[in-house]
Amino acid sequence: MTQRCYAVADRPEVRVHIRDLGLACCAVEFASAIARGLLIPAPEEPGTAAVLVISGTVTDALVPEVVRAWEALPEPKAAVSFGACSNSGGPYWDSYCVTKGVDTVIPVSTYVPGCPPRPEALIDALVSLVVPV
Amino acid sequence: MSAIPPRARGAIALDASACTSCMICVRECPDWCIEIESHTIEVTEPGARRPRSVAVLDRFTIDWGLCMYCGICVDVCPFDALAWVPQHHYPGVVPQDLRHGIERLEEFDVSDS
Repeated sequence: MTQRCYAVADRPEVRVHIRDLGLACCAVEFASAIARGLLIPAPEEPGTAAVLVISGTVTDALVPEVVRAWEALPEPKAAVSFGACSNSGGPYWDSYCVTKGVDTVIPVSTYVPGCPPRPEALIDALVSLVVPV
Repeated sequence: MSAIPPRARGAIALDASACTSCMICVRECPDWCIEIESHTIEVTEPGARRPRSVAVLDRFTIDWGLCMYCGICVDVCPFDALAWVPQHHYPGVVPQDLRHGIERLEEFDVSDS
């Protein structure tokens, strides 16, 4: 779990502190957004909004860690649910040990659909999240 | 930065006029993310011996929050009413935003793919 300041390559004014909670395979798409240059590292600036990206399956055993990561994030902050598993449980909708949506434990601002979502979908979500603010 | 390939599995578009409400996609979906409601009407054609029963589609909903984009529904549809499209930009502010009905599913541009 890393926290760094990133700017959206196409929209350099959109700059966010991203903490990626990569719990499963959707984290690969998140990494791809950085590897393909859709997100570029930006210098740290005080007051930049922090975004917690929950990419992957949230199991009941990991819920305390997710809540801790959310509470540790400084304001202003928002949570992005990235992928079907964190949106609703997804393919594990009937599992005994998977949380049925990360929004049951933390407030989520944007739900990104996909299994996995494309890296571009993360960018779209970040832009739609930051631009109205 | 490379463009999104036209074969990308971004979303599943619906052609409601091709859908016969046969429910095969609903039953084959591993996530049960498709909902269909329909009713049957009787159509009497001139010269026919008896009225024909025709299903009318009332509601077709895909819950993208649940969908795992496996494409089984696209594969099993006997009438090609479902098709992959590369569009991926439809994040939701509340989970209900990810439940798309007939209107939104028909808006996806099939000519892209």
